[in-house]
Amino acid sequence: MKRLLRIYKPFTRAGLLEMVAYRVNFIFFLLGEIMKCFVMFFVWKAVFDSSDSSTLYGFTYDNMVVYLFITFLSGYITYSDGSYAVGKEILDGSIAMRMIKPVDFDMCFMFQELGGKILQLLIVFLPITVGVEAYRWITNGVFMLNVPMFFLYIVSLLLAYGINFFFNVIYGFLAFYLKNLWGTDIIKGVIVGFLSGATVPLAFMGGFGQVLGYLPFASLSYTPVMIYMGMYEAKEIIFYMSLQLLWLLIFVVASKLVLKSAMKRLVVHGG
Amino acid sequence: MLKYLRLHKIFIKQYLKKLMEYKVDFLLGAIGFLLEQAVQIFCLGIIFSTIPALCYAKDGVVLDSWSFNEVLFIYGFSLIPKGIDHLFFDNLWSLGYWLVDRGDFDKYLTRPINPWFYVLCEKFCVDAMGEIIVGVALIIYSTLSMPADVSGAINWWRVLPVIAVMPFAIMIFTSVKTGTAAIAFWTKRSGHITHMCYMTNDFAKYPAKIYNGFIKTAITYILPFALTAYYPAIFILRGEAVWSLPVTVGVSVLLFIISQFIWKKGVSAYESAGS
Repeated sequence: MKRLLRIYKPFTRAGLLEMVAYRVNFIFFLLGEIMKCFVMFFVWKAVFDSSDSSTLYGFTYDNMVVYLFITFLSGYITYSDGSYAVGKEILDGSIAMRMIKPVDFDMCFMFQELGGKILQLLIVFLPITVGVEAYRWITNGVFMLNVPMFFLYIVSLLLAYGINFFFNVIYGFLAFYLKNLWGTDIIKGVIVGFLSGATVPLAFMGGFGQVLGYLPFASLSYTPVMIYMGMYEAKEIIFYMSLQLLWLLIFVVASKLVLKSAMKRLVVHGG
Repeated sequence: MLKYLRLHKIFIKQYLKKLMEYKVDFLLGAIGFLLEQAVQIFCLGIIFSTIPALCYAKDGVVLDSWSFNEVLFIYGFSLIPKGIDHLFFDNLWSLGYWLVDRGDFDKYLTRPINPWFYVLCEKFCVDAMGEIIVGVALIIYSTLSMPADVSGAINWWRVLPVIAVMPFAIMIFTSVKTGTAAIAFWTKRSGHITHMCYMTNDFAKYPAKIYNGFIKTAITYILPFALTAYYPAIFILRGEAVWSLPVTVGVSVLLFIISQFIWKKGVSAYESAGS
C-alpha cells in the first residue's frame, strides 16, 4: 500500500497542479452546468404548485431540491474522463511511453484524476452541500443532515467513482475500434445520464425504474443520492451498496480483459 | 454583401465535402443530439404525467397555466433559433477554446475578408439539423394535439411577425457567443465563459413566469434568451407578449453592437503565439 502511494503520488500531484492551473475555467464551466439545476428547481416548483398532493412518488418539493443538487454534485465527483485520455493516447501513439514504464496504465490515470478531484472537492462539494443543507434548514427550521448517512454517502460515492472510472476505461478502449469519441461521447453521456436518473428520479418511472435500479448506471449516482436523502432503509442500503461493490468488481475484471486484448492489437507508428 | 453570401456558399460546400469524408462521425453526432432531445422530452412527459397542467401560482392562487402541449410547443420553438445559430455559426466556440490560445487566429487576419465573418462561416455544423428537426416536429405534434379552439386561434398574423423577428432572435445567440468568445483575445481562453452564458438558454425552454423576478429580468434583458423562445412562442399560441417583438429587435441590435465593439477591441489586442 505504501509502495503504491509512493509510486502514484507524483501523478496525483500532477493532476492537482493541472486543476489549479485551470481553476478559473473549471469554475465558469461549473457555473454553466449548474444552471440546469436552477432551471429544474423552478420547473419542479411549478410542478408541485400544480399538483393537488404535496408528494409525488414519495418526493416532497424539498426532497426534489436536494435530489437535484446532490445528483449534480455526485455526478461531478464521480465524473471520470479516463476514456478521453486513453482514447487520445491511443490515437496519437503516446500510449507507448506509458507501456514501457513500470506503472499500471489505468492506475496512472486514476491517481492523476483523483489529484484534480482534491481541488474540485473544495470548489464543488463544500458550497453545494452547505447550500443544500442551509436551504433545508431555512425552509424546515431544523437541521436535517443525517451524519451517519452522510458517511455512508461518501463511501457509496467512492464506489460509484470506481465503477465510473473502470466503465470509462473500457469505453475508452473502444477508440481502437471506433476511432471517434466525440459523437459516441454524447450518446454515452445521454444514455448514462438517463439510466442513472440524472434528469428524473428512477422512482418516477414505476416498474421500469425498478429494473433500471439494478443496472450499473443507477449505482453511479442514484444509490448514493438516495442514501444521502435517507430514502433507503437499512436493508435497502446494504442491498444497493453490495450491488455497487459487485458492479465495481465486474468492471475491474472486464477492463483488465479489454486492456489485454487491446494491447495485442495496438500498433504505434513511429514515435 | 453579395460577395460574402457567395463566399458563405463556397464555405458550406467545402465543409460538406469534408463531412462526406467522415460520414460516421457526422451520423453519430446527429444521433447524439437527437437522442439528447428525445430523452429530455421523455422526462418532461414523465414529469407532466403527474399533473394536469403546469401552473404559476402565488400564495396559493393560480395566476397562469400551460398545458403539456403548450410547454412542448415552447420547448420545440426554443430549439429553432438555437439550432439555426448552431448550424451556421458554431465555429465561434473554437475561438474561445483554441484558436487564440494556439495562435491559429493569424490565419484569419491574413485573408482579404472580414475576420469575424471568416471565423463565423468556416464551419457548417450539420449536427444542428438534429435540433432543428426535433424543434419542428415538436411544434407540429403539439399544435395538432392541442384542443381545436387553442390551435385554431393561431393565424398568419401571429406567425408572420415571429418569422420576421427570427433573424434577430438568432442574432442574440450569435452576439452572445461573439462577445464572450472575444474575451479570449485578452485571456487566451474564454470557451468556459461562453459556455456559462450560453447555458442560460436552458431557462428559456420553459414559461418565463415560473422564475423569480431576478432570473426573469436576466433572461429577458441581460442574456435575453427568453426573447428567442418563450415570448415568441406564447405570442403565436395566445397572442400575448406583443411587446416582446419590438424589444427583441432592439435588444438584439444593441447586443450585436456591443459584441462587435468587444470583438474589434479584442482583435487589436490579439497577440499571436510565439511559434
